[in-house]
Amino acid sequence: MTTLARAVQEPWPDLRTQREAVGLGMWFFLASEVLFFAALFCSYAVYRSFNEEAFRAAAAHTKIVYGSINTALLLTSSLTMTVALRAATVRLRPLTMMCLGATAALGIAFLVCKGLEYRSDIVEGLIPGPNFPLSPPATEIFWGLYWVMTGIHAIHLTAGVGIVIVVMVLFGRGTIPVQGSTMEGVAIYWHFVDTVWIFLFPLLYLAGRS
Amino acid sequence: MRRDRADTRRLWLGPLWTWVALILLFAINLGSAYVPLGDGNLAFNLFIAAVMAVILIVFLMDLRNSQVVIRVTAVAGLFWMALMFSLTFSDYLTRN
Repeated sequence: MTTLARAVQEPWPDLRTQREAVGLGMWFFLASEVLFFAALFCSYAVYRSFNEEAFRAAAAHTKIVYGSINTALLLTSSLTMTVALRAATVRLRPLTMMCLGATAALGIAFLVCKGLEYRSDIVEGLIPGPNFPLSPPATEIFWGLYWVMTGIHAIHLTAGVGIVIVVMVLFGRGTIPVQGSTMEGVAIYWHFVDTVWIFLFPLLYLAGRS
Repeated sequence: MRRDRADTRRLWLGPLWTWVALILLFAINLGSAYVPLGDGNLAFNLFIAAVMAVILIVFLMDLRNSQVVIRVTAVAGLFWMALMFSLTFSDYLTRN
């Protein structure tokens, strides 16, 4: 059986239709994910509308250097993921593998950076509860949202890194051909996680800098 | 060999320009956060973030070449999100 024939699964007549189906399925999933994250963004908006000054004061304590490095890392990972998808579509296997490796490495670098940032936050005692170092009390709401929003985002990214590594192994073993529809779903998911961060960055890191 | 190299270059070129645009917008966002604009800071930062998201979705997620049904699905997610925001704020902003 040729690799192209192996790439097409039932019930799809050709690879193009199969890729479109995978893309549509992933977009359906992302539409539900949008609502999941929207609930968190909505909570942020409601609490900020009532505690504007407290949110400004609390946001000034997030670590802008870590946040900025992470933004650059994720934006770059979206570039390598796009090239990986385009290379897979035209069956350039070495370039696909190289770009997937770079994407996973950038994702891991993001998580390491996030871990260092969390460590620094914990050392400063920025965990809502008794002896919280900031005032007024509503600053705790901001930091509660910070931990939940960045934590859930990190879980999504960890899943993304895991998926990229698994796909690389499957491509490496030749279990699935690179030009199949797998890359379509992986790439869309990865870009979505990047898009969520693009909005988290101004809300958590830029608010309260001026 | 030369053709392979040309193909590889073509694969990188479009996404590379998009990445440059995203990094530039990120730098603008970061720099503008330190300019005292009052309430305008967050509004401007979120506007730039929205522009970045649109660029990423249209060019890197390739929504511009997607089928209509995929575009409708993407817009449906935004529609329900807008509904969530408007119903939530129609409650909180009209209390007292």
